[in-house]
Amino acid sequence: MSVKHGLLALLAEAPRHGYQLKTDLEGRTGGNWAINIGQVYTTLQRLERDGLVEPTGAEKDRHDYRITPSGREQLDEWFRSPVVFEAPPRDELTIKVLLAVAASDVDVSELLQRQRTASVEQLQAYTRRKAQADERKDLAFLLMLDALIFRTEAEIRWLDASEARIRDLTTKAAEKNGGRS
Amino acid sequence: MIQTPVVQLSGASRSFGHGHTEVVALHPTDLRVGGGEFLAIMGPSGSGKTTLLSLIGGLDRPTAGQVLVDGRDVGAMAARELAVLRRRTVGYVFQDLNLLPGLTARENVSLPLELDGRPARAARADASAVLEVLGLAGLEDRFPDDLSGGEQQRVAIGRAMVGERAILLADEPTGALDSITGESVMRLLRRHCDDGGTVILVTHDAAHAAWADRVVFLRDGRIVDETRAPRQGAA
Repeated sequence: MSVKHGLLALLAEAPRHGYQLKTDLEGRTGGNWAINIGQVYTTLQRLERDGLVEPTGAEKDRHDYRITPSGREQLDEWFRSPVVFEAPPRDELTIKVLLAVAASDVDVSELLQRQRTASVEQLQAYTRRKAQADERKDLAFLLMLDALIFRTEAEIRWLDASEARIRDLTTKAAEKNGGRS
Repeated sequence: MIQTPVVQLSGASRSFGHGHTEVVALHPTDLRVGGGEFLAIMGPSGSGKTTLLSLIGGLDRPTAGQVLVDGRDVGAMAARELAVLRRRTVGYVFQDLNLLPGLTARENVSLPLELDGRPARAARADASAVLEVLGLAGLEDRFPDDLSGGEQQRVAIGRAMVGERAILLADEPTGALDSITGESVMRLLRRHCDDGGTVILVTHDAAHAAWADRVVFLRDGRIVDETRAPRQGAA
């Protein structure tokens, strides 16, 4: 995710100056994205160089920027393209569980339960914030919390599925051994 | 922070069959649920969570140990006393809603009060008040078939809440609902607790369990872990 598209999206609505862009972008993304003001200015310079934004020239001592037609074209293209996650991120939890399964002296079900409890506690914290939010006013914040909640939920479902799969294998192995004796 | 427990299990267990065919649904279990607490019980199917809820709701009796609800020993109650407990103290929201199709929303909700001997008019006025709290004002005279899934679920919750019953037991109450409608049901349960009621929710869905103050995890008929109480003011 680039600051570039965030700035273009805001400038497509109305001209703004650098500091306004920073605070509005942070507000719009539910406080989920802290942006460095320096990064806003260097990005604006780059966008201006590439002809995607231009100064309005309205104020002498403050630089308001507006989007250009080719900036709008780039923004439309960005909104039209689905986000593709190319390489799956390296995930410590997945790797830890895979290594635990292979290790003979690790209690995997205990590991899974400890993680499940921690993940549910995290989910509770998100949900408490959601319960306090104003459903009409805090749309960006609620959408961001939903994203965090669904991701954590997916993690818990994966823990549940892993446990069920391991149990299933253990049961089958026990039945096979039982059948022989 | 657990206040005076309204539900207390001490070594309560439930098994079926005898000897080598005995199946233990719930091993001896200790659990305290405080007044005004929202507790969720999580576990896969067959982990004993519905058995645990049935013991608390007086729908089943422990094989051994004790289940106290509102200070009274459920296992020692006669069938008639259990019926009174279910009408006055404990409300149950089932997985399948069990709404009576021939009764309107209001009549479904007022039924437990009327069975308890309350005059029909007063019972229906109470039912209307509960339906209004649940956002169903104007739909009181509809039959279950003419309500959406989410509305039917709220009627079922209304039936469990009516008569100011202190304890609400819910078994997978959001079964077939989409996630936003399911969330609105969780908000209702949450509000019931914030108003001083007690809720015990059984679910395999972590996102729903997360609305609770405390989550206990069941595996093979045993409580294996529980979440810690949140730090005050922590988000």
